Amino acid sequence: MKFNFELVKYALLNVKKRKMRSSLTILSILIGVTAIYALVSFGVGLQNYVNVIGEQAGVDKLFLQSRGIGVPGTDANFFISKDDVDFVDKINGVQEITGLYVKTLEIKKDRQLKFVFGSGIDPKKWEFIEESFTVGVKSGRALKEGDLDKIVLGHNYEVADKIFKNPIVLGEKVEVNGKKFEVVGFFEEIGNPQDDTNIYLTYDTFEGMFPESRDRFGWAMIKASRGTEPSALADRINERLRKHKGQEKGKEDFFVQTFEDALQTFTNVITVLNAILALIALISVIVAGVNTTNTMYTAVLERTKEIGIMKAVGARNSSIMFIYVIESGFVGMIGGAAGVFLGFLISSAGGAIAAASGFSFLKPAFPIWLTLGCIMFAFCVGAASGTMPAIRASKLRPVDALRYE
Amino acid sequence: MKKPIIQLRDVWKTYKMGEAEVHALRSVSLEVKEGEFVAIMGPSGSGKSTAVNMIGSLDIPTKGSIYLDGRDISKMSESDLAQLRGRKIGFIFQQFNLIPTLTALENVALPMVFQNIPKEQRIKRAEEILNIVELGDRMDHKPTELSGGQQQRVAIARSLANNPDVILADEPTGNLDSKTGETVMDFLEELNRKEGKTIIMVTHDIGVAKHAHRTEFLKDGQIVKSLKNNKGASKT
Repeated sequence: MKFNFELVKYALLNVKKRKMRSSLTILSILIGVTAIYALVSFGVGLQNYVNVIGEQAGVDKLFLQSRGIGVPGTDANFFISKDDVDFVDKINGVQEITGLYVKTLEIKKDRQLKFVFGSGIDPKKWEFIEESFTVGVKSGRALKEGDLDKIVLGHNYEVADKIFKNPIVLGEKVEVNGKKFEVVGFFEEIGNPQDDTNIYLTYDTFEGMFPESRDRFGWAMIKASRGTEPSALADRINERLRKHKGQEKGKEDFFVQTFEDALQTFTNVITVLNAILALIALISVIVAGVNTTNTMYTAVLERTKEIGIMKAVGARNSSIMFIYVIESGFVGMIGGAAGVFLGFLISSAGGAIAAASGFSFLKPAFPIWLTLGCIMFAFCVGAASGTMPAIRASKLRPVDALRYE
Repeated sequence: MKKPIIQLRDVWKTYKMGEAEVHALRSVSLEVKEGEFVAIMGPSGSGKSTAVNMIGSLDIPTKGSIYLDGRDISKMSESDLAQLRGRKIGFIFQQFNLIPTLTALENVALPMVFQNIPKEQRIKRAEEILNIVELGDRMDHKPTELSGGQQQRVAIARSLANNPDVILADEPTGNLDSKTGETVMDFLEELNRKEGKTIIMVTHDIGVAKHAHRTEFLKDGQIVKSLKNNKGASKT
């Protein structure tokens, strides 16, 4: 059968003519596609974020962490010692390493008290830290050696109602663990509330506040030297440090992970989560497909006589089938397009809410393949759902169809 | 001598109603020549509509053969039949059977869509025929916006769309008042006389049947009588 635009027009006309029934079927497809589009747009956005981080931070970074439970630094029994850091620093292929202290701190402003994470850093390694965090100091200055009563804060402190009712300004003195500190700089926004509420202090300040934690880092960041394969370096560090610490293979109290692996783990979690959510949305699309089949069966019954007329004036079975498949395909496509539009609105609103809540990394992305893919998918679901009724319509005997009342 | 365009040879149509068999047609044989205007008459249930459906290839016989222009249509596939129907036969129904969502022009152009005739040609031809049936000013109206007589004229126009050799009319005046019915019959007569179309018409109205050259009488699925009419087209 040749492609016949007139039959497409006729199919469209039928969708338009049966507005109420079409719109109910469209609505059922719309719901499923909206969910898929919104979920996948967030998934793609997250993936983009991960990719950008990966590109900016570079794939030459590794992490050295102790095997423990929870966030590094929250349990004093698990730590990376200064001796570990110094040892790793000497391993061939390690260009740079810095240990970071991590503790929960209490910060007070205008009688408001908040518990946040504090990082004790080596001011000499500031550039390396900025490179690894992919953000730098936005206002003020970085910490330098001798900054005993000075701190740098995460982005959220600069914003009203994020952490404190009133924003903290440069030069302001705030109380951290009962001691006054001058704020000398603010970091750029990282995009997640935990990182953006961090307090950065020098080693000396941190060790002064927590003498028992001296030389016990929460974790360490490593940069591989040019030409060194990070995963090979991770294996090497793992082996050497294990031997250095006299530990058995598989029973190390530390682990080394490349930045790429960490990102991959994160990406895998996102992908699985996204797939599960998309699967749930897919079920609603399948239900919508069943609904479309039902609608199309009704349409065939309702238009049996029309089918008879068409056959009487020369329509082949294939033409009749084409009309009904295209018609249900259109119903799907309209639902798909509307779903994409609604999904776009929901995702955009969700992204804006997430950004306002400090989760700016939860930024949806709307690539053209997703938009067109969702619309095409909805068309295919519609067309597939209409196939059985279309076959039934095409096989009606003209004489019976004409007699149908 | 005109050649036969339709031939029914020993045609039977049997329906199964539970255990019982009902013979709608019993050994019907009929020959219609090119340019003839034939009326088929008979009481309700006599099998006249079944006969017309067979001739129009809308239904297939249980037994026997039907020849259209020398080809045995009782053995053709549905797809080939559809094409043949579209090209060779034009239908006019008692209920008009227009597609309600389409305009008069689109209804008339529809048979040409299935013959893959280009749009421009379709529109031109549909406009021409609608002008012939004096509906040039109603082309963009939907069937519900037209009177019964106008709808039947649209149906006549549609039956002519692909310039078929045969027009099958099943009670074409059945749903019309006598005056409108007369106008429709005038159109059919004119088509037969001027265009040389072969017309086979089912009717139960003797007055309507008088427009034909001859009348075949059906009773209980059999042709029981054949009468030549004095009135009617004069081409045979």
